[in-house]
Amino acid sequence: MNKEGKYRIVLIEPSEIVATGIGAIINKNPEFTIVQTLSNPSYFSTVNGNFDIIIINPAVVDYNERLDIRSYFGGTDAAIVALTHSSYEENVLRQYNECIGIYDNAPRIIQKLKNAIEENANTPKNDLNELSARERDILAAVAKGMTNKEIADEFNISIYTVISHRRNISQKLGINSIPGLTVYAIMNKLVDMSDF
Amino acid sequence: MNNSETIYTRRMKVADLIASDGSLLSILQRLDIKLGFGEATVAEICKKYNISAELFLIICNIYSFRDYVPQIDTLSENDIQSITNYLRASHRYYTTTCFPGIHDCVHNLVKEIDDVSRRLIDKFYDDYDNEVTNHFRYEEEIVFPYIESLTAKDKGDNGKYNIGQFGQNHSNINEKLNDLKNIVIKYLSEEYSSPLRFELLNRIYNVENDLRKHSLIENKLLIPLVEKMEKSHE
Repeated sequence: MNKEGKYRIVLIEPSEIVATGIGAIINKNPEFTIVQTLSNPSYFSTVNGNFDIIIINPAVVDYNERLDIRSYFGGTDAAIVALTHSSYEENVLRQYNECIGIYDNAPRIIQKLKNAIEENANTPKNDLNELSARERDILAAVAKGMTNKEIADEFNISIYTVISHRRNISQKLGINSIPGLTVYAIMNKLVDMSDF
Repeated sequence: MNNSETIYTRRMKVADLIASDGSLLSILQRLDIKLGFGEATVAEICKKYNISAELFLIICNIYSFRDYVPQIDTLSENDIQSITNYLRASHRYYTTTCFPGIHDCVHNLVKEIDDVSRRLIDKFYDDYDNEVTNHFRYEEEIVFPYIESLTAKDKGDNGKYNIGQFGQNHSNINEKLNDLKNIVIKYLSEEYSSPLRFELLNRIYNVENDLRKHSLIENKLLIPLVEKMEKSHE
């Protein structure tokens, strides 16, 4: 929350019409404020300062990443809310604290944001330094000497996503160089020497 | 902190300087200043060893005070050669004193580890060692000779090199050392020798700290002085 006691929201939505509309609805409410609107999640790393909620259109995330949305955002402890224009599988939407539909009215949107904050506060958090399953797979690929492009192809994700995973991995482990990551991966049996 | 507030002065005895901060000993070691100097002052010792006292005090301040920001106003072109001499001596100190110690520690530590990890960590360290050696060699064979040619009375052809390129090429050699530190602190299993690990970490912290000061001398003294000189030659 910021000084005025408002929950701070980052909105990631490619449609300017939708982003402007939902922004207007949310900013009218005294409890919430949109601090940044992005058309593309690859700009997420440029977001400064604290925020309490990420509202994101699941369509902007690669299909494979939709199943682990929290680690996509580096294991953030903000609430994550889906903004959907169309229907998604249950196991995709389960990742989110709440799901706002494009036909929801203003009171319903605000209610869902409140639910999301509450639900997120009640969810036990993983150790932030623990690598997610996806991050361990990516780390193994880095240790095997694969390039970002090769990793992107293998996992069917974009290069941006690979880069963002690698940044999160290095941040969590405190290891930045590829040789250092390789040592870590082998010591933790994420890869074995037969891969070399 | 600015220069006028620093506590080290030319009239101070070198023995008192060392008594106030033992880490300054390594500077004497690098400059080949022999111990047994009795009551000699900074000015006397610097004169004897042909070192600029002003520069010597700045370097001591850099080592002793974390927040000290060196200023170049009191230095002149004549000090540039002294700075490159010091940096060369510093390289020698790293390659003959600091890194062999770290290498031995790493080597003894991994002796106990399974074959695969041993080869890996050994190779990791050897690669780092090569990287550092190349970094130092680049400075000693390309950068310092260029700088010294600028200060020489007979100004030859300096080619297309300029100090700006040095700034760009000045890669961060601390990254891998930091990785090694985290591996030893956090990820190497508990069963491996603790005394050796602590010794290794202490050595890494010391050399990291020293390398930071070394970079500070390059970035805040050497590069600005050379840039000033390059401008005046244009």
